[in-house]
Amino acid sequence: MTERSITTEHEPGPVLQDSQSDAPRWFLPVVALLALTAVGALVAGVLVFTGTLWGLNGLARLLVGAFLIAIGGGAALGVRDSLARAHRGRAIGVLVNYLVAIVFGFVALQNMGVFIGLDALGDRFFNAVWLLLVIALGWILASQSERFGTRAATVNRVGRWIAAIGGLVLLVGVGLIPGVIEFFVRLIALDVFIPFAIAVAGGAGFWMLRRDEAAALFGTTQDQAEALDGFLFASPNVLGFLAFFAGPLIFSFYVSFTSWDGLTDIQWIGLDNYARIFGLQFTSVGDGQAVTDVLKQNYQELIRWGDFVIAARDRLFWVGLRNIIVFSVTAVPLAVFPGLVLAAFLNQKLPGVKFFRAVYFIPAVAGVVGISLIWKQMFNATVGFVNFGIVKLFDLINLVPGVDVVEPVPEWLSNSRVALFSVVIVFAWQAVGFNTVLFLAGMQGISASLYEAASIDGAGAWSKFWNITVPMLRPTTLFVVATTTILALQLFNEPFILFSPQQQPSGPNNATLTPVIQLYQEGFQRFNQGFASALAWVLFGIIFSITILYFRRQREDDGTLGT
Amino acid sequence: MRKPWRFMALLLALALVAAACGGDDSSDTTADAGGGDATTTTTAAVTTTTSGGGDEPMAVELRWRTRPDNDQEAGVYRSVSETLSGTDAVLGATLNYEAGGTETEGYQQALLTQLGAGEAPDVFWIPGAEIANFAKRGVILNARDLADAAGHNDADFYPGPMAEMTTNPDTGAVDAGSYLWGLPRDVSAFALYLNNDLILEAGAEDPRELAAAGEWDWDAFRRVSEDLAALGGEVSPYGQSTWWGPVGYWMNSGGGGFYTDDRQSCNLDSDGSIAGLQFAADFYADGLALTFGEDPEPVFKAGNVGMFQNGRWATPGIREVTFDWDVVKLPDGPGGPSNWLFWGAYVINADTQYPAEAWALVQSLTAASVQGQVAELGANIPSRVSQAALDAFLTFSPPANNQAFLDGLSENPTTEAPDWIGDWPSYSSGLTTEAGAVISGARDIADFQANICAELGEFTASGS
Repeated sequence: MTERSITTEHEPGPVLQDSQSDAPRWFLPVVALLALTAVGALVAGVLVFTGTLWGLNGLARLLVGAFLIAIGGGAALGVRDSLARAHRGRAIGVLVNYLVAIVFGFVALQNMGVFIGLDALGDRFFNAVWLLLVIALGWILASQSERFGTRAATVNRVGRWIAAIGGLVLLVGVGLIPGVIEFFVRLIALDVFIPFAIAVAGGAGFWMLRRDEAAALFGTTQDQAEALDGFLFASPNVLGFLAFFAGPLIFSFYVSFTSWDGLTDIQWIGLDNYARIFGLQFTSVGDGQAVTDVLKQNYQELIRWGDFVIAARDRLFWVGLRNIIVFSVTAVPLAVFPGLVLAAFLNQKLPGVKFFRAVYFIPAVAGVVGISLIWKQMFNATVGFVNFGIVKLFDLINLVPGVDVVEPVPEWLSNSRVALFSVVIVFAWQAVGFNTVLFLAGMQGISASLYEAASIDGAGAWSKFWNITVPMLRPTTLFVVATTTILALQLFNEPFILFSPQQQPSGPNNATLTPVIQLYQEGFQRFNQGFASALAWVLFGIIFSITILYFRRQREDDGTLGT
Repeated sequence: MRKPWRFMALLLALALVAAACGGDDSSDTTADAGGGDATTTTTAAVTTTTSGGGDEPMAVELRWRTRPDNDQEAGVYRSVSETLSGTDAVLGATLNYEAGGTETEGYQQALLTQLGAGEAPDVFWIPGAEIANFAKRGVILNARDLADAAGHNDADFYPGPMAEMTTNPDTGAVDAGSYLWGLPRDVSAFALYLNNDLILEAGAEDPRELAAAGEWDWDAFRRVSEDLAALGGEVSPYGQSTWWGPVGYWMNSGGGGFYTDDRQSCNLDSDGSIAGLQFAADFYADGLALTFGEDPEPVFKAGNVGMFQNGRWATPGIREVTFDWDVVKLPDGPGGPSNWLFWGAYVINADTQYPAEAWALVQSLTAASVQGQVAELGANIPSRVSQAALDAFLTFSPPANNQAFLDGLSENPTTEAPDWIGDWPSYSSGLTTEAGAVISGARDIADFQANICAELGEFTASGS
């Protein structure tokens, strides 16, 4: 094996071995495999483009075809560079073979039914999970064997045997033997065997090219080797991100340009969904004219000032947008400022303060559904505790001689003018605890010397809070406001529970309709996955813009603080 | 990593894959039904797979799902499943029951996702109003041929739901000779739950006696409500939820309805619909009802509501109250007696591998004996129209006056029906909001009558 040398950070480092040596036996098969991959990917890409393969339409056809052709082109480039013994050829070969092994490995496992079978895995392990205790017992015995003095070696051996036998029985207990048989039985099927064989070939190619011998042959420098290793180390996370985050994200973006019910074929409709969302009509009504006479087909009145009318093609989107803006403007301050005040109190060295820190955090960890159900009962205008408390409070006030106030009995969930505020209360109540903890952490990071200096200068508690705590907490405050705003804009659970099933989750007269509730209704109640995806992307755009504004503000603040 | 640990890690990974590989869905069934151990289950799976090419019959396993209202109901379904599993009634199929989520836990959301991914159960329950959405998209099986071969008779079930179950999805017209999308699991209707203690205290006429005398109409309903209102305090004479069902009762009973008779167009602006809406709006405006939008069930159960409109599904919860209660049919309006016929159905996944067994399961689940077991819990009414089924239902008390529900089902009910051509979810959502706005005083009824069909007509079959 070639010995690697230490290199400086900025120099390319030495070549690991002379790259002009004769090619070993594995070289040509590996290059041939890469060439085969290039041809396969290019052909598949062309077939996808022409619609022959998989029958994709529109953007999906374009993206998948372009991806396959990019892979094929990259692999072809890799073949050329490999033949020239250039490091880029090796790097491309490693990457392509790695992807081939992963992708076809997953295809093989999928066709084998392994992922569906994983559902059953929990049951299987539950049946034999007690054997983990045996393994743990053996391990404890082995690890503590030195306590047994002269018999330490024996005890160690016994412990290891117990752990090993426990492990073996566990594996048998979860179905190892019939499972292995089944594995090979299913492997025989062509739709499993072919991708499995390709995955094995890709894996072999990857392994061959990863070896130091290959690095030397391709003239790979130490830096290049380390860079490749770094990418490979990061690859599980990157692949997971692509598969479970970026993939669905891109798919939903594609779906937003389609008419799709989630069950039947996808129909490409271009920007229609977005046109429906943003479709507005500005018009005026003449004397004796009905509003409906001047509106375009499928447009509904949104706002009216005298004769001037604004109509929308999707009125509910604008209603939801209005609601969520009102909600955010109200709920975010109510979730942030009390958190700051509470944190200031909980930052004192007072008896029982740790207990209260825990108490205020409980709503943050409690389930939203449970919380909303409890609030739903409490908000009942007739038998709810909130109005009961209000009535009792006013009864107390009315005890004062000369005072006779009629107690208000708000209809928290049935009055369209109050309903959204009910949701604000629930949201703020739940968010305050978490924000308090964030502020508390920020406060504890402020240097005590600042307060000491202020005390020496004669500053009082309020002055210290206002002139030291608040400015020093500015980064924390920005973070808290940003995250709370994002949460607020994604409001769904609270109104969904508070107003169902007696009403729609959109509340009385759509007073609590939010973009996410509309998204849910369109996607899962009206079978409009395409429109729901478009709504999701519009909401993303709004949240992203606000987040960018926050972070820009934070950068400006950092710059100010820096000067 | 040291070699022994590498070996152990590889062995463990292999075991994971292998165990998963051997554990197809059959393992759940076996484990649930018989509690068999893992090794036995895995072996069974191997046998199933390898026996495909041999002479041995393939083991058939069916998954089926409902949306139970509570654990007790789920328990009954599970018991039914275990009893039927492996019997001739389901052609020897092994059954695996899955209790789906509740209405607010995304039952339909999970179902749609699984249908899209090809992993939905073989047989599942859906609300009656959803039949069109599923049938039009080809995700549920047309079981007409299977039903005919099995000697099924459509007339054994309430005709309203069966008309929807035998509709041609392309035309929206009933075609019982060609289509059958499943069978109704149960039916339900509204009734007024009565707080007899409050009615007695108010000295009001007994609605049950008025109904028996054929005098239970809107006027009588208002008289009783006014007497109850005179009690004052926290007592509300009447309460109802705000979804389309209770709102629709007023329109139907007023002589109107959501749709025109041919179900092609909006009928919300008809004189009958407006009369019903006007009565309800006045009733609320006069303070004779619990605030529109407040959940009336906890208030009724607390003893503060005299009459509470709800379906049979509310009965198990109401049985917990301590005051004297009963039910009476909904009052007759100018349009005569009226009610809804709510229902849900068992349907078959179009992608099931075992359609014959799935149909046998649907038939078994809708047999009189099984419907009786479920109905005994109190939340359901059998969907069969046989006298035996009705007689059995009458014994499931309290309430004493179960006949009120059967009256609701027999006196001119409007069947909860999907809109095969239009867009029912959008239409129902819009009308619920706007009619609610009228009842709560947020929208002028004249404006409603003038514009509602222009606003919602696009969601009907005719687009008007």
